[in-house]
Amino acid sequence: MSDFAGMEDLLQDFLTESSELLSDVDNKLVELEKRPEDKHLLNDIFRGFHTIKGGAGFLNVDALINLCHRTENLFDKLRNGQLKLTPELMDVILAATGVVRDMFGAMGQARQPAAADPSLLAQLDAALEGKAVAAAAPTPAPSPAPSQPAPAVAGSEPDWQLLHQAVTGQAPKASTSKPTAPPVPVAPAVPTQPAHPPLPAAEPVARAAAPAAKAPAASQQLATQETTIRIDTNRLDQVLNLSGEIGLTKNRLTTLRTDILSGKTDGATLKALDEAIGQLDLLVGDLQNAVMKTRMQPIGRLFQKYPRLARDLARQLGKDVELVISGEETELDKTMLEDLNDPLVHLVRNAVDHGVETIEDRIAIGKPAKSIVQLSATQVGDHILLEIIDDGKGMRPDVLRRKAVEKGLIDLETANSMDDKQALQLVFLPGFSTKDQISSVSGRGVGMDVVKTNIQKLNGRIDIQSVVGEGTRFSISLPLTLAILPVLVVRVCDQPFAVPLAMVREIIPIRPEHIQEVSGRATIVVRDEILSVRSLARLIGWEETQTPQFGVLMQAAENSFILAIDSFIGRDDVVIKPLQNIRPRGIAGATLSGDGSVVLVLDMESMLDDTQNSDHSAIKTTQFLEMLTHKA
Amino acid sequence: MTDKNMRFLVVDDFSTMRRIVRNLLKELGYSNVEEAEDGQVALHKLKSTSFDFVVSDWNMPNMTGIELLKAVRGDATLKHLPFLMITAEAKKENIIEAAQAGASGYIVKPFTAATLDEKLAKIFQTLNK
Repeated sequence: MSDFAGMEDLLQDFLTESSELLSDVDNKLVELEKRPEDKHLLNDIFRGFHTIKGGAGFLNVDALINLCHRTENLFDKLRNGQLKLTPELMDVILAATGVVRDMFGAMGQARQPAAADPSLLAQLDAALEGKAVAAAAPTPAPSPAPSQPAPAVAGSEPDWQLLHQAVTGQAPKASTSKPTAPPVPVAPAVPTQPAHPPLPAAEPVARAAAPAAKAPAASQQLATQETTIRIDTNRLDQVLNLSGEIGLTKNRLTTLRTDILSGKTDGATLKALDEAIGQLDLLVGDLQNAVMKTRMQPIGRLFQKYPRLARDLARQLGKDVELVISGEETELDKTMLEDLNDPLVHLVRNAVDHGVETIEDRIAIGKPAKSIVQLSATQVGDHILLEIIDDGKGMRPDVLRRKAVEKGLIDLETANSMDDKQALQLVFLPGFSTKDQISSVSGRGVGMDVVKTNIQKLNGRIDIQSVVGEGTRFSISLPLTLAILPVLVVRVCDQPFAVPLAMVREIIPIRPEHIQEVSGRATIVVRDEILSVRSLARLIGWEETQTPQFGVLMQAAENSFILAIDSFIGRDDVVIKPLQNIRPRGIAGATLSGDGSVVLVLDMESMLDDTQNSDHSAIKTTQFLEMLTHKA
Repeated sequence: MTDKNMRFLVVDDFSTMRRIVRNLLKELGYSNVEEAEDGQVALHKLKSTSFDFVVSDWNMPNMTGIELLKAVRGDATLKHLPFLMITAEAKKENIIEAAQAGASGYIVKPFTAATLDEKLAKIFQTLNK
């Protein structure tokens, strides 16, 4: 049952818009810590809470109204200089935004959120009355200056509702004729009494701060539910224009068809046909681009959640970290944006938790106390490059090797044969964690291996560079969109197959004299790298009809290898259509080639998996292909 | 009788809220509604096309509702435009400020279609006097 029956549309709008607003407020709060006197920031934050409260009013979400009402009033007093921002107060405010986010989470599931923890409300009330908030317990952060009680404000407020009724009873007249103040009858002064009972101000922060930690989880929940998209109307208009023009071109073609069918095939008609088709070609290309653009969203929408995340984590760990963000305007396909959140959250946490040193350690080695973590996005050609760079201690290859051996992930021999660059890749192994103790921060079962898998699912790549003592750089390279996949079309046993171009490093001719047997397996040495040769025909379970002529150097998960094929057709941009009802291993989907024939798009990862651990329950690629060829 | 075709301009920075007000107006039979996301945009629209009624939020970036109201009242061609101020502030000072600036009416969030209708009726009444 929905608690918002009949208001679902409104609720969805409200949540989408308010969540953005709240992220913005969160970031401004982080900014505010640096510039506590900034009037603009105070104003913007005030307005953020105010707007959320206003919307919540129409949805009758009392819990949210009550909470936002208090934070709004608090910021009203802060911006008027009636209160002063202290670090303790900041903790309470941040806890409050965490609770607001939790409430959005509940509303996203069509539930009325529960009222905020009374101790949090009590704290906000205490702060409103100018009482110092108890020192925050859970943050052993750089101990803040003793909180100075702000100039006490009159600790109560009259009943505005009553006042308002009194005033609006004789609503202010349209004063076009009367520019001076109309007499406003003021309600008999409402007896001023403490709006809220005095409270024990000592214990509550600890509890209040706890929900803040849950905030990211709730927001993720919200993100996965997001089914709407906001599109710049200009982009939508462009789509409309183009489809209109395509309609016109279609009419032209229909006329020409009639002409041609009636035997009119003179030069002018054919030239017109040629022109119309040329134009259609252009328009369809433009339309595809325009439609694609509607799915593109600035990555800033994702980035904006992280400064708060980094700030909270840094405080918890007693570190001073600034997350510097750039390239927020870089655009990515919406679905990719959502799938990128988890990996990026992990990498940001990782940089703050494992990457940078504590304040004491930094001072001891002569680094500035504050560490900088940079998060950037740029478009490089047809790829997006995301980088997370910290100025911390860097990763030590020898430590990584030792850990991996200790944990039994690799044997000593393998470890010793690895160069430093390969050793860095060890962090991507499942079960690898360099921290001896699992902290509350990391170690929630999600490791770097999951980050890597998620990035690969998006046809992306992740690389590490690290200099001991100077810091670590994670670079993620992603295609602009998943809807169109650049592929290399290869041919084996007279059947075309498409291989994702992202995995292709180069194409080499295969000469029998270059093939060397290493422990019973065929290999080729390419620039000092020993690569195994795998025949595509055999991978899909066919007999080779000829000796492979070419090898495609493929970069798969951990290992590179050479995919042996008969010949190749060329590169192409294809739209993958998922196969209905059947999910053969090793096949990502199908696409149509220019001549109208079906080309299967290979999913190399799952194909390699399949050959390594055979699973009888799954439909084998072989069987599927047989089905397909029988049909054809 | 009021003209159900009169042209409204709804001003609010929160699009959800614009939608709410638009729906409420529609419920009351007014479907000729335009939107603006802050005072500046609103003022520009008011100056370039003709409107019969402004419903504006108070608290907005760039140009607040009260600033918009003052600008409207200070403009020779716009000064007679009915102007309903919407806000979450039910504070005495705010109400006085709005009245002083020349608001035709004042409505506190959240409100129902009935409340809105009542306020509109009151404003039309004053206008027709």
